[in-house]
Amino acid sequence: MAESMQLCNLSDNNFEQCTKCSICTTVCPVAAVTTDYPGPKQAGPDGERYRMKDPAYFDKALKLCLNCKRCEVACPSGVHIADIIQRARMKASEGHHASLRDTMLANTDLLGTMANLVAPIANATLGLKPTKLVMDSVMAIDKNRTFPAYSRQKFTTWFKRHAAKDQDAYPNHVSYFHGCYVNYNFPKLGQDLVKVMNAIGYGVYLLDKEQCCGVALIANGLYKQAKRQGRVNVASIRKAVNMDHNTVLTTSSSCTFNLRDEYPAMLDLDNSDIRDGISLATRFIYNLVDEEKVKLVFKQDYKRRLAYHTACHMQRMGWQLYSIELLRMIPGLDLQVLEQECCGISGTYGFKKENYERSQAIGSILFKHIENAHVEAVTTDCETCKWQIEMSTGLPVENPISVLADALDVEATRKANNLTD
Amino acid sequence: MRMDTVIVGGGLSGLTCGIALAKRGQRVTIVAGGQSTLMFNGGSMELLGNIDGQDVNHPLEAIAALPKNHPYSKIGAQRIADIAVEAKQLLDDASISMDGTADTNHWRVTPMGIAKRAWLTLSENLRIDDMGKLPAKRVALMCIRGYFDQPNGMLAQGLRDMGFDVQTIEFSTDDITALRHSPSEMRATSLAKHLVSNNALQRVADQINALASEADIVLLPSVIGQTDDNDFNTLQRMCNKPLRLVATLPPSVAGMRMQTLLRHYFKMLGGNYLTGDNAIGGKFEGDKLISVSTAKLNDMPLRANNFVLASGSFVSRGLAANYERVFEPVFDLDVEADADRDKWTTFGVLEPQAYFRYGVATDDSLRCLKQGRTITNLHAIGSILSGHDAIKMGDGTGVSMLTALAVARDILSSK
Amino acid sequence: MQRKWEYSSFYATFKTVLMVTTDVYNKEYDVIIIGGGATGAGTARDCALRGLSVLLVERNDYSTGATGRNHGLMHSGARYAVTDGESASECISENMILRRIARHCVEETDGLFITLPEDSLEYQQTFVDACQRAGIRADVIDPEEARRIEPAVNPDLIGAVRVPDASIDPFRLTVANLLDAQLHGANTLNYHEVEGFIINQGRVEGVKLLNKHDSSHVEVRGRVVVNAAGIWGQRIAQQAGVNISMFPARGALLIFGHRVNKMVINRCRKPANADILVPDDTVCVIGTTSDRIPIETVDDMRVTREEVDVLLREGVKIAPSLATTRIIRAYAGVRPLVASDDDPSGRSISRGIVCLDHATRDGLEGLITITGGKMMTYRLMGEIATNAVCAKLGNTAPCVTAVQPLPGSEEGAPSQSDTTKRYTFGQRAAIGRHGSLAARIEKDNDIDNALVCECEGVTVGEIKYAVHQLHVHNLVNLRRRTRVGMGTCQGKLCSCRAASLMGELNHNPKSAQEDLAVFLDERWKGMRPVAWGDTLREAQLTATIYEGLCGLDKAVNLQGKEDVQ
Repeated sequence: MAESMQLCNLSDNNFEQCTKCSICTTVCPVAAVTTDYPGPKQAGPDGERYRMKDPAYFDKALKLCLNCKRCEVACPSGVHIADIIQRARMKASEGHHASLRDTMLANTDLLGTMANLVAPIANATLGLKPTKLVMDSVMAIDKNRTFPAYSRQKFTTWFKRHAAKDQDAYPNHVSYFHGCYVNYNFPKLGQDLVKVMNAIGYGVYLLDKEQCCGVALIANGLYKQAKRQGRVNVASIRKAVNMDHNTVLTTSSSCTFNLRDEYPAMLDLDNSDIRDGISLATRFIYNLVDEEKVKLVFKQDYKRRLAYHTACHMQRMGWQLYSIELLRMIPGLDLQVLEQECCGISGTYGFKKENYERSQAIGSILFKHIENAHVEAVTTDCETCKWQIEMSTGLPVENPISVLADALDVEATRKANNLTD
Repeated sequence: MRMDTVIVGGGLSGLTCGIALAKRGQRVTIVAGGQSTLMFNGGSMELLGNIDGQDVNHPLEAIAALPKNHPYSKIGAQRIADIAVEAKQLLDDASISMDGTADTNHWRVTPMGIAKRAWLTLSENLRIDDMGKLPAKRVALMCIRGYFDQPNGMLAQGLRDMGFDVQTIEFSTDDITALRHSPSEMRATSLAKHLVSNNALQRVADQINALASEADIVLLPSVIGQTDDNDFNTLQRMCNKPLRLVATLPPSVAGMRMQTLLRHYFKMLGGNYLTGDNAIGGKFEGDKLISVSTAKLNDMPLRANNFVLASGSFVSRGLAANYERVFEPVFDLDVEADADRDKWTTFGVLEPQAYFRYGVATDDSLRCLKQGRTITNLHAIGSILSGHDAIKMGDGTGVSMLTALAVARDILSSK
Repeated sequence: MQRKWEYSSFYATFKTVLMVTTDVYNKEYDVIIIGGGATGAGTARDCALRGLSVLLVERNDYSTGATGRNHGLMHSGARYAVTDGESASECISENMILRRIARHCVEETDGLFITLPEDSLEYQQTFVDACQRAGIRADVIDPEEARRIEPAVNPDLIGAVRVPDASIDPFRLTVANLLDAQLHGANTLNYHEVEGFIINQGRVEGVKLLNKHDSSHVEVRGRVVVNAAGIWGQRIAQQAGVNISMFPARGALLIFGHRVNKMVINRCRKPANADILVPDDTVCVIGTTSDRIPIETVDDMRVTREEVDVLLREGVKIAPSLATTRIIRAYAGVRPLVASDDDPSGRSISRGIVCLDHATRDGLEGLITITGGKMMTYRLMGEIATNAVCAKLGNTAPCVTAVQPLPGSEEGAPSQSDTTKRYTFGQRAAIGRHGSLAARIEKDNDIDNALVCECEGVTVGEIKYAVHQLHVHNLVNLRRRTRVGMGTCQGKLCSCRAASLMGELNHNPKSAQEDLAVFLDERWKGMRPVAWGDTLREAQLTATIYEGLCGLDKAVNLQGKEDVQ
């Protein structure tokens, strides 16, 4: 024991490495807009010492935390500030039930399944003023919110009908964790991914069983359900990674972050054997190009000016580099990289009536940056940022994979990668 | 991923070096493990403030007297003069407007009203060029009610000791008063986030105009201008007296702005800035560093022709100390530090502490050493360098910027 | 325009207690007590409750001696059961009393006595038998059960006994006793050092004092003087011309950054180095070493590297996670034992209470020395000393200190654990520290609720209360009353905020800078012996802020300043 004495400090979420420098307080988007939230330092490492002494020190205001993780990114001491806060909320919530509203918002897949069946009605109804007012008053979902539209056809249905049969023919393969958003709201992103991957010689498979990654469940305190669904996903991903030797690709930074980092940190799900097998599609493709394993050929006449917004969870993962560098390969693309700011939506947070104003106030800095960038559209890896930015700026927002799919000369790319029809 | 240069550390030195390289067309990635110690900088750069307990008036002249292992001695006094001009230009280009010269130090006024020697100071901060000729006689010191990160009594007393005629005026506005509803979050930076709209600034200006009519200049705590100097200029236009800012206790608004503007400029030049990631190791071949792995990029190390270590001192975790030894945690480079733990520090909190002078060992070109061997494409810059003392010599920010630019020149000419 | 709320009126609420009126000096007291530790404070309280007029004098701040420099352990007495049955019995009886009268100073954690593979399990039986003889509940529990109720314990343990140990805050305890004494008419003066005695025809009639605030010399008369000066009692006695041989045994301790353990953990073996780990408030403390030191060195409490090494080496045997837990500081104290033999270890000496009536012992009337004992038995020592005083003065009032709760701990006092009330962090922390006295803290406006110390939740209101009512003259005093600067950062931003507030109070900003530097120096004294890892980072950041950014080292010269308590 003597030889390992005091060589390092070990504490849950590194909370003991905190030097109380207070830098985290300067980046917290919530504390910037409300005095009700004590800020990451108080809510995190400061509060934790007292909660260890007596759980009565738990402060209900901690539920205002967006879990955007910007405090962790800014911390020069490696303290997992947001994880400390989430863990404290989790501990305090034991034995409490989430509200109907929170349960509904959190179950993005359940809501999606129901809505898909009646998509035109759902879209129309969710957009109607009376419906919105009822949701506002009964459900406490803010009336100003635009609900993301539901697609008539699920991505998985499209995939089975139009794409599945062709995939075996490709020389290489990946698996795809599409997530709720692609499946229910925006199948086009999934189709774009299949298009791009196929063009560079990769067939795409779906997982045996995919459930919602649970990012919204965790945010809404439904930890047990999140863990249940997490187990299913880990098992499916494990099969794809370990037995089929496929990398599991994603097109959502939040799903990716949740599957890789929040599963072990928040839900105590062991994913250590498969964590490296889960990758954001942009990262995977960038790396293939970087290692000269595949080539991308772009349309000659392509010309656009876009702004790249780094989603908070993307920044926490540190992977924005891949999306940015991949987009920079497109010759006709004038890419403005925005200063990282939180858009304010943070998954379901901004949908709640009590958070609406705060959410928009938080996002206002980003919206101003976007306005000043004078671009035709914004690109980002997160779907909830997309809703928020589209609603608040009126500009269209696209996933980098969709931008890539749009810019790609598919035939030329297939040829460059020696694919024959 | 292949770059021309990879810089470990995203503070003042890393950004300065990154900007200098990116400006000349290099593809540069900076790996920054969180925010830097710029957040504790009040808005001044110090080139050299003190040697052996004696204040320095003319830093460029004084450099000749520095010991051989001081980073300035390695660069050479002649080059320092040249590079110092480049540093000021770089700050200008990044929209950081500072005044001062490397020939003659001026005085900055600290949050506690103590005068300290400085090289460059933000244009809107209180700066004294000549203690015998103060910039004004009658000073109104505006104190924000309920704001505790400016020790007003000490500041007022200090200004009086310098010869100012000080009137202390307490004030608030409705929106500032509302901020105090948070027991912990009324900080300089939170005030700066609120003092951005014309309305909020006008309310402050109204108070100043009403209460400070006697003064020649009006001093405000530095709680304005988080992202640029527009907010300050707007407020100045609204006030009928000249305004000057005085640094506060951290986190510093001026420091945050300098960090943001430098990062922004670097990104504008096409640089990649990875925040919240940490270099965790490197692959060496012979006397060269081939690639750097980071915690987040994991299996895809950053490859480059040149590498720069700008990871700071202990506080930034560029250096580490445990029960047994002082070491450099990323590459395990050679360090210059005492082996005996008792020698790292001494009782007496204001005494010179040896650990401030510890750092990685470098050759005369600031290239790092590993097991006695020079790593030819790995330079060290800034606070991680040994042989200087930011506290007792007042050379921290100067070493950061000047070593960064010297190394950038070496890298650019080495092709 | 703006809400009328003047700066000056804000600070006018600070009623300064620095001014000592001559009334305090001119009065003739029944009893003058020398020493502001727990024993002196407890004696002052007891005397005042029995109707005597009391003056207590302390040369530094209250609880700066052994009272404030121990484990903060409220012994069950089990530790002494085998070697010193009498002390053990005293401990358990006082332990039960303090749970009632000092609830806001006590945390009922319970304790474990663990047997490790290197210890003999036979000792456990001897230990349990001895506890039973002393009247201490001692339940042998399964090692598995011990690991369950105290996850931090060394998992290799082979035996465990559960006893009613607890943790206690000696600073709060001392202040509560002083407050109660004051409520019953006592005067108390800190920073008043005894320079000599007024002795007339073989009789002590008062004390000669140095007022350290203004360096003036005064004499105060009293019918009986009690020497409760702990290890410094030998020097005090010498000034009266009598001889007491004290046995200074130095003990060093380490404070870790957070609570590793929930229960007190002791080694079940003959007392030795570093065999107790106590959870104290937000931290935990391992100790102690034990070294005989020359009496001349009792004021040098700087911890050495060797002491740190011993504490760590032994500490990790109790709780292995200490090897990877941040140490925030080291400190040392001196046990005020009365030498009875030449035992080199000092451990077989009784912690027994010694009360000397110098009239019968030395032929000097009017002087009583109360010494020996432990912080734990301070109340009993006060009772014994007061009995002796009353016997001389013919006072027959009974002692009530064992039944009457201390201020802050009255029946129905609010609790920090009460989740039905919505308190801010600062308000809750203040209740934890001051019990019902927290009601005296202003909390009706945002500024009073603003946090000065964010680690420990100390508000502007609490600082005003401490300065106003708890004899605070400088930042170090303030820390002892409130925990300002006692968090992991050891005073990063709070010390400047607090210094600034106190500077406004004293209308002396220059002294505020010096006060701040002295405070930082005192913090550094404890950090320096453990300055590696994050504690070194912390120190560098503090230096960057106070010297680099603020230039404090240019304005203050600490050279030649005495080690201010």
